Amino acid sequence: MSVHDRIREMVENNDVVLFMKGTKTMPQCGFSSRVASVLNYMGVEYTDVNVLADEEIRQGIKEYSDWPTIPQLYVKGEFVGGCDIVTEMTLSGELDELFDKKGVAYDKDAANKIREANS
Amino acid sequence: MATSDEIEQKLRAAFAPEHIEVIDESELHRGHAGWREGGGTHFRVRIRASAFADMNRLARHRAIHAALGTELIGRIHALALEVEA
Repeated sequence: MSVHDRIREMVENNDVVLFMKGTKTMPQCGFSSRVASVLNYMGVEYTDVNVLADEEIRQGIKEYSDWPTIPQLYVKGEFVGGCDIVTEMTLSGELDELFDKKGVAYDKDAANKIREANS
Repeated sequence: MATSDEIEQKLRAAFAPEHIEVIDESELHRGHAGWREGGGTHFRVRIRASAFADMNRLARHRAIHAALGTELIGRIHALALEVEA
């Protein structure tokens, strides 16, 4: 199976996938850590893919998404963005809207708390 | 040329921004993955340009990535973007 097929399978068979450096419980980069923390705090169920553990995925995901950096967030097969975009969308409420639209469960109160703490 | 100047030059040429700041934040990441002695690894760009008006977030970031080119992006470790139209 080609690396692009592997990635397609991951993002299509899992509702929320975060390609990151390290794991959701032990991130190894501040940018990956920030996105994982948001998802953890919001109680989102997601699959974490540690690109440091798989060189083929690490390169392949950049081509697959046409996006040069890690982390990368996918929701229901659709590329959402990297650390800056996910952060902006969290603070603006757009991430909540996206989860609502795609039918992904999350803790709305927790999302509001993130916004209060950063307002 | 310093990498920060190179980034600024390419973005000025591509988007004619009303405002642009390229900040080398490498020191904030001292000791982190990808950091090198002497800086030039972690950058933050604040840019405001009317060219971004009709683009969504993904399109804005993709346009900036394209303007910088894969060679430059491959050379640096991190690029934080704050984009406004």
